[in-house]
Amino acid sequence: MPSVSNYRQQIANMTNPGLGLGLRSKHFNYILEHNPPVNWFEAISENFMDSGGRPHYVLRQVAEKYPVVLHGVSLSIGSTDALNKEYLSKLKQLAAEVNPLWVSDHLCWTGVNSLNAHDLLPVVLNEVSLKHICDRIKEVQDYMERPMVFENPSTYLTFKQSTIAEYDFLRYMVEETGCGLLLDVNNVYVSGFNNDFDPVHYIRQLPYESIVQMHLAGHQHCGTHIIDTHDRQVAQDVWNLFALAWELTGGVATLLEWDGNIPDFETCHEELLKAKQYMNHNFQAAPITVQQEYEEEAVSNPVNFLVNEIRL
Amino acid sequence: MGTENFSLDELQQWMQGMLIYHVPVESNFGTNAGAPVEDIVNASQRLSAVSHLDIYRYSYIARLRSCMQSQFSALTYALGNELFQLFADQYLDTYPSESYSLNTLGQHFSSFLEETRPDKEAKESWPDFMIELAGFEYTLSVIFDEYAIDTNTAATIDTPDNMLVLHPVFHLLSHRFPICNYYLEFSQGKEPELPFPEESYCAVIRLNYKLGLFSIRAAQYFFLKRMQETHSFEKAKTMLINEKGIPQTEFDRVWPEWKMNFIASGFFIEQPGT
Ligand SMILES: [Fe+2]
Repeated sequence: MPSVSNYRQQIANMTNPGLGLGLRSKHFNYILEHNPPVNWFEAISENFMDSGGRPHYVLRQVAEKYPVVLHGVSLSIGSTDALNKEYLSKLKQLAAEVNPLWVSDHLCWTGVNSLNAHDLLPVVLNEVSLKHICDRIKEVQDYMERPMVFENPSTYLTFKQSTIAEYDFLRYMVEETGCGLLLDVNNVYVSGFNNDFDPVHYIRQLPYESIVQMHLAGHQHCGTHIIDTHDRQVAQDVWNLFALAWELTGGVATLLEWDGNIPDFETCHEELLKAKQYMNHNFQAAPITVQQEYEEEAVSNPVNFLVNEIRL
Repeated sequence: MGTENFSLDELQQWMQGMLIYHVPVESNFGTNAGAPVEDIVNASQRLSAVSHLDIYRYSYIARLRSCMQSQFSALTYALGNELFQLFADQYLDTYPSESYSLNTLGQHFSSFLEETRPDKEAKESWPDFMIELAGFEYTLSVIFDEYAIDTNTAATIDTPDNMLVLHPVFHLLSHRFPICNYYLEFSQGKEPELPFPEESYCAVIRLNYKLGLFSIRAAQYFFLKRMQETHSFEKAKTMLINEKGIPQTEFDRVWPEWKMNFIASGFFIEQPGT
C-alpha cells in the first residue's frame, strides 16, 4: 500500500494541463462535434458513476480526447457516518475507466444517519475534527490507491467550536495525509465576505506546493452575504485573487465552473481564457470593490447538481 | 451539558435536523434539542447566527425543490407550481434523500402521492392521473440512464420476421390514462388538458442515447409484450392469435403495416450473429 510520502510525491509530480472547463450536459453535443481547443475537462463524478446511458457514453468519448479530472460532491469526508463503501467502489471503478489526472472532492460533510442534504456543509475546524478527517482521508486514499485532492468550499457560517483557521486546517490535512489541494479562489472570496476574513491573507497562508488545481466561478452578491451561484462571469475581485494565487503557486491547472444559466460553450470558453490576462500579472493588493447591485433569493449551486435532462 | 461540549456527531445531527426537519431532531439530544443557534454558530458583522444558518436552510429546500421540478416537469405543469411544491415539500420531509445521487431523488414520489392522496373517502380520478404521470416520469429517467450500449444493427423491412429482436432498451408500459400522449404534448410545448381515464399503451425506446416514446394499440402491446417474454416472433404471433382470438388472416393482413411502423420506430434490431 502506498505511504503518505508516496501520495505527497505523486501530488508534487502532478503536471499542469492548462485551462479547463467543467463538463456540462448542455455542452455535450458541441464538444463531441467540434472538439474545442480546451486543455482539459472536469467531470462531476456523481453525474457519471451510475450512468449507463448518454452521460457515461459522452464521458468516455471526452476522456479519449482530453485529459479529465473527476470532481466529486458526495464523499462527505467530514461526516461522522462511516464512509460509503458503495460510493467509493463506484468512484474507483469510474476512475479506472476514465483514467483521470486526479480525483477531488470538498472539505465538507453532506449528511449523517445515511441521509444526504445534497449540499457541501461546513465542517467544525478543531483538533477533534482534524483527526477525524485525516483518518478518513487516509482510508479513502488507501482504498482508491491514489492521493485525493480537497477543495475549500464556500461557507455561509462558522461554528463557535472552531479553533483552527481553515487555511491551517487544510495545511495540517496535507501534512498528515499527503493529499493535494484544489484552491477555489471564488470560494475564498465568498467565505471571506460571509465570515469576516481577509481572502488575501487566507491565500497567502496556504501550502502552495500542495495546490494542484484552482477553480474560478461567478457568485451572487446579496448585500449582507454572497452566494456561490456559479451562474455568471467571474467577479473582478476574484480575478485579482486569482492573479495572487497564480503568482504564489507558480501556476497550476485552472478551471472555470458554470452551473446555472449556463451559456453556450464559446461564452464559457471566452470567460475561461480571460485567466491568461491574470497570469504573471503581478498581484496588486487592490481594494476589494463594493458591488452595487444586490439580488435576493439566491440558491447556492456549488456544483452541477441538476438531475439528468432527459432527451427525447 | 452545554453546547460547547457537543461532540462532532451531535453537532452534525443538530445542523442536519435544522436543515431537513426544520426543527432539531428530538431524540439523542436530551436537553440540547432546542439548543439556541447563537450557542453553536457565530454571528458576523452583517448577519446574526440565525441568518447564517438560514442560508443553508433556504438553499436545502430550494435546491431539492428545483431538482424535483426538473425530474417531474410534466407533473409540475399538470398540478401547477404551487400544488406541486406543496406535494414535493411534504415528500422531501417524509423521504429525505438517502442517495449520493440526485437522479434517484424522486424514486418514491409516485408511491408517496398514492399514500397521501387527498380523496381517501370518495375517490376522484385526477389523483390517479397524477400518480401515474409521476411514475411515468420517473421511469423515463431510469430508462434514460439504463446500462446498455446503444449501437446495434437496426432491422430493415427485408429482415426476415424470425430474425427480428427487440431493441435492448425497449420498455412497454400500460396506463389507465393517456399518459404518453399527454407527456408528448407537454414536451412539445403544447398545453394539454387534464385527460379523462382511457386505457393507453406505449413503447419507450432509447436510440443513440435519446428516448423515443410511441403510443401503440392494445393488440400491439400484447404482441410486443409476448415477444419480449418469449424472444420469438412465431410464439408471439401464435399467442396473439390464440389468446386474443384474432384470425390468422387478420394478422397476416395487419402485420406488414405493423412491421413497417415498428421498424421505422427502431423497435427491432437484427438477431446478433446473423
Ligand atoms: Fe469549486
